[in-house]
Amino acid sequence: MAWQERFSATTFSGTIAKLLLLGVSNALAISALPQLWSARAWQGLVAVALATVAIDVVYLSGRHVPLKYLLPGTLFLLSFQAYPVVYNAYVAFTNFGTGNILTQDQALEQVLRRSVAIPEDAVRYAATPLVDDAGSLAVLLVAPDGSQQLGTPDGLSAVDPADVVIDGSRVASVGPWRRLTLGQATDREDEVLGFRVPTGEGEIRLQSFTQAALAEQLLVHDPATDTLTNTQDGAVYLAAEGFYRTDDGQRLTPGWRVFVGFENFNRVLGSEAIRGPFLRVFAWTFVFAVLSVLLTFALGLFLAITLNDPRVRGLKYYRAVMIIPYALPSFMTALIWAGLLNQDFGIVNRLLGTDVNWLGDPWLAKASILLVNTWLGFPYMFLISLGALQAIPTDLREAAFIDGASGYKAFRFVTLPLVLVATGPILISSFAFNFNNFNVIYLLTGGGPPIVGAQTPAGHTDILISYTYRLAFETGRGNDWGLASAVAVLIFLIVALFSIVSFRQTRALEEVN
Amino acid sequence: MRFRHGRIAAFAAAALVLAACGGDETAESTTSDEPTSSEEPTQSDEPTDETSDMASEEPSDEPVTRADADLVIWADDTRAPVIEPFAEDFGAAEGITVAVQEVEFDQIRDLMSTQAPAGEGPDVFIGAHDWLGQLVSDGVVAPLDIANSDDFFPVATAAFNFEGNTYGLPYAIENIALVRNVDLVPQRPETVEEMAEVALALLDAGEVTVPLAWQQPDVYHAYWLVTGAGGYVFGTNDDGSYDPTDLGIDSEGGLEAGAIFADLVERGAISGDVTYDIMRDSFAAGDAPFAVTGPWAVADFGDVNYVVEPLPSVAGGEARPFVGVQGFMVSSFAANELAAKTFVLDYMATQDAQLQLFEAGNRPPALQAAFDAISDNPVVAGFGAAGANGYAMPSIPEMGSVWSAWADAYTLILDGGDPTEAFTAAATQIRNLIAGG
Repeated sequence: MAWQERFSATTFSGTIAKLLLLGVSNALAISALPQLWSARAWQGLVAVALATVAIDVVYLSGRHVPLKYLLPGTLFLLSFQAYPVVYNAYVAFTNFGTGNILTQDQALEQVLRRSVAIPEDAVRYAATPLVDDAGSLAVLLVAPDGSQQLGTPDGLSAVDPADVVIDGSRVASVGPWRRLTLGQATDREDEVLGFRVPTGEGEIRLQSFTQAALAEQLLVHDPATDTLTNTQDGAVYLAAEGFYRTDDGQRLTPGWRVFVGFENFNRVLGSEAIRGPFLRVFAWTFVFAVLSVLLTFALGLFLAITLNDPRVRGLKYYRAVMIIPYALPSFMTALIWAGLLNQDFGIVNRLLGTDVNWLGDPWLAKASILLVNTWLGFPYMFLISLGALQAIPTDLREAAFIDGASGYKAFRFVTLPLVLVATGPILISSFAFNFNNFNVIYLLTGGGPPIVGAQTPAGHTDILISYTYRLAFETGRGNDWGLASAVAVLIFLIVALFSIVSFRQTRALEEVN
Repeated sequence: MRFRHGRIAAFAAAALVLAACGGDETAESTTSDEPTSSEEPTQSDEPTDETSDMASEEPSDEPVTRADADLVIWADDTRAPVIEPFAEDFGAAEGITVAVQEVEFDQIRDLMSTQAPAGEGPDVFIGAHDWLGQLVSDGVVAPLDIANSDDFFPVATAAFNFEGNTYGLPYAIENIALVRNVDLVPQRPETVEEMAEVALALLDAGEVTVPLAWQQPDVYHAYWLVTGAGGYVFGTNDDGSYDPTDLGIDSEGGLEAGAIFADLVERGAISGDVTYDIMRDSFAAGDAPFAVTGPWAVADFGDVNYVVEPLPSVAGGEARPFVGVQGFMVSSFAANELAAKTFVLDYMATQDAQLQLFEAGNRPPALQAAFDAISDNPVVAGFGAAGANGYAMPSIPEMGSVWSAWADAYTLILDGGDPTEAFTAAATQIRNLIAGG
């Protein structure tokens, strides 16, 4: 029927469900678009508009059947995987980090505000901002010696004490001027903050709502040339590479974020101090990831084969117990392991009666990391292998035995390839995950015993991501997101390359079968 | 049938479109109307990824957004209840709305950098003075003018000076001191040597299990040893600010301190396995004669008969620990700068406020009059005496390069390495990092 073709639904409830979901997605778009427009978030606006149009087109037409299945996943892939990677890559080419987080306008405003100086011997007045019926501002200034003066944009003038009306502890009015309340002042805050009383020695300005003092602006901005000039010593600051700086290298903070090209990458790959530990840490990261995958898979598969035997009773209970390391949050268990492996006070040494420095000796620390990671990861591999094993038809193994294959040969040439076909992608993604397994490293050893003589702080069990974390966030000048993003991009390229190659290999496996 | 379904479909679509249009207002109000009482960001573990076998990424901090009020103050859960009544008085007196949001102390600095420029930051926030390096570099903190700065301890006002401007109003000073179990050690040790001998003698006699409850490796807790031996971390300029080009870790005094430290490790007085928890638990159980710690730990020491006193001298030199100062700062992206500055300068500089903050946080107050008012408290007096000649922690950004590398050096010494080699290597690493890596 025509309407069924139009809506591509075959049942009534299916149609309703489809309408509801389409209605929800359109409703979200309609409510979000005006907000995105007023917030001038053009990227978000375009993304939401395109996604909504795509959803409507794909689901309301009778064609594009494969797309109907793929569209939600693709949208999530784009928003949660592709977009962060692209944004990360963008940040890698900027100098975004501590000292460079603002825009240039914001930075200029802060620099100017900071250059207001109060002379050493300046008098500090107790101030009461006043307003008259016409809305003009004035301020009553009371010096520390008690003398009162009225300050207006025309200067200071004397005040007859009889005119000052006090209400409780505060001045209520001075002649025609009434006290300005804080609420009224915040409504015209720029005006109040910009209020100046010129005197012979300079200008008096408000330091807070109740205090005022003489202050002068040391830096003056010239918008035409975008330079700052110091009125006291004449130094000139030009805007260059994210900071206002003089020719001889003096810099004003804060700076702003700018595009710096390949500078971050040059620092990582070119600087001698960083490159030294970098290669070593990279080697260990690779070894750690590969060994983690191998050990967890071997242990998981071994347990799966052992327990999959029909003679084993109570498989359910074994499975439930085995899941525990995987079910508990690794954040907590890694910390507990760190306590267990403590040399003097940990239970492992006490039970074994030894005094082994598990986390302090370079090789033992590496072994401890692998041990804990295996403990954390084998239940998952166990479950996957169990599922893969149960999917193998039993007559294949029987056929192998009839052909004279021993137990080992049957495993190696029949069982293992079939299991690998199912688990291959999982092994690859497990490698990718362990390549960046920051949690276990940071919580167990914090990067491990320090490498003696490293040019920048690095430990024996540091993997690329924990080494970079320390380099970008725990040392240097605060948070260096540009550098961290550059390393993240490099790691992404390495892992992506390895994954692509591995996927090609596993596809070869499938073709055999 | 075709007709009926078509009509139902049309109705449903119309209803949904109406709902979408009406949904605008509620969507807007929920994003801007945060509860004013408390807003504690929880550490959220991301749900386990199906394709991975390890659970969760790094825990993410939920960004705290600005409450809907004229004056917004960020404080941690210890101090927020103290600040609230003052804020409410201020709001009532001036006719504006105020909100005090609870934010975890350690997260405030980084949150300021991300939230303030986006307009989601507070007007006033509390923080430690050594955050100024990052906050000033990022341009998120506004200069203040404290009219009565002479009423505060000099080290406190100096701590909040940075590059010629004052950026905060101090309210608490904290430093470590020597905490001695009087039952085990009746007399105060004058030197480090004496302290080690007494501790080791007690260890040999079996009366204690931990000779020195002193958490390792920790640069902050070991700095007094360095200054006592004549070393320093950064040299000072004439105006008192720190000079990042003058690193003193591998100076003569610094290396001597390293040697003293290594000697104590070798004799068994210092153990690399003592963590904060072990320090606290062993001293509280009477299993350690000395603890080197700060006011944050003494609350857990229970009914042990202890006394707080200055740290012993080192190789003849006075031990001068790091001093940390906490204070109120005003955001440079404050929505209401006048209200923020007035609140901080008029309400938080009073003796009443400073005393109440002391009672909540157990740190000696920065206002001299407030400190004198409670000087009969022996614990506070002890910490005050220990830190009287202390050094404010350098707040220059280069200090960030020191912590990690120097801690590595201490770790190497704790594992039996050569102290001169370890400290010199750390100094090289730090100079590399300061130069840009």
